[in-house]
Amino acid sequence: MSIAHHPDDALLLAYAAGITDEAEGLLVATHMTFCAACRAAVADMEKIGGGLLERVAPAPLTADALNRALVRLDTVKPYERPHRDVSHDGTPDVLHAYLGGDLADVRWRRMGPKLAYAPLFRRGGTRVRLLRGAPGADAGRHSHYGLEYTLVLRGGYTDHTGSYGPGDLQLADAAVSHSPVADPGEDCINLAVTTDSLRFENLLQKIAGPLFGF
Amino acid sequence: MRRDPQAMELDTLLGRVAQGRDRAAFAALFAHFAPRIKAYLMRLGAPAALAEDLAQEAMLSLWRKAQLFDPAKASCGTWLFTIARNLRIDALRRERRPELDPGDFAPEAEPDPGDAMSLAAGEGRLREALGTLPPDQALVVELSFFADKPHSQIADELAIPLGTVKSRLRLAMARLRGALGEMP
Repeated sequence: MSIAHHPDDALLLAYAAGITDEAEGLLVATHMTFCAACRAAVADMEKIGGGLLERVAPAPLTADALNRALVRLDTVKPYERPHRDVSHDGTPDVLHAYLGGDLADVRWRRMGPKLAYAPLFRRGGTRVRLLRGAPGADAGRHSHYGLEYTLVLRGGYTDHTGSYGPGDLQLADAAVSHSPVADPGEDCINLAVTTDSLRFENLLQKIAGPLFGF
Repeated sequence: MRRDPQAMELDTLLGRVAQGRDRAAFAALFAHFAPRIKAYLMRLGAPAALAEDLAQEAMLSLWRKAQLFDPAKASCGTWLFTIARNLRIDALRRERRPELDPGDFAPEAEPDPGDAMSLAAGEGRLREALGTLPPDQALVVELSFFADKPHSQIADELAIPLGTVKSRLRLAMARLRGALGEMP
């Protein structure tokens, strides 16, 4: 299946420039494991970084800088490829490191008969978690106080803006009110980043949302 | 075919480091790149001493990893840019950088080894195109790399809507990526 929803140029560029925060960086890197077009775009953007590095006015070094470097050449350890755990179920490696295992091993916390989540990490007000919905699961109509990024890892979901499958990234901001429903077939698993709380419209979810940290 | 003689020369020097542990080649690369990396990091807000330390680290990484360099994928300058970028994130942010591993996805169509020449030509055209971008586009591209601020904040500081920043970036990307891909 081809990917229809990509990070925009600004987000890819921020990733290539190294200024995304960790949550955005994880989203972009995980999206890139699905998307050859964005890998190529980021590689090109890194070439822009290389071009800018060439154009920057050089800053003079301290007088003995080169000698200090030369002295260290003989003492640096030879490069070894960092060890990477290998996933057994196609979990993107970049995510594997955060999960400490495979998607299959995630310990889910239930939020209802069809919905579950697993927190990954939190930086300030930004929360990163996995969401899981059984087919037909309805996340409930909500809008957003901040930004909500949703990257599909498995399965898919649909809202009024379209359908999202593996690798697709949806960005919803304060202007978007949506009611995503998990597609039929396998469970939908998403990587979700929110920079602030969600605004549920349903009374029960209004009460329950904050309990679960949404 | 047009190509950037200086960039080719730098790539050659790096090849000599990789194959022969050539210290003179390293010194030449250091003289060219270390002051640029220092300047780049200072533009991003690093104090001069830290910027110089990181520039040193970047050059030592080049020495350690030289045999991993693939001239068919990027120039020496681009490769060093990514090294310096990642060192900066490690040093300043103390956050993990979610890093792609090539083993994470099916190998792409590998460029021909002969493509190193056309790649160098592409990067040469890219650098020319960077110099001829319309000023409003050049500014948002530069700030994207040097401001360490989200685009929403860049928009606020330029007193233009975020949508305008993004559309300028889109136009700039189309031009710059076009220059890279253009047939010689």
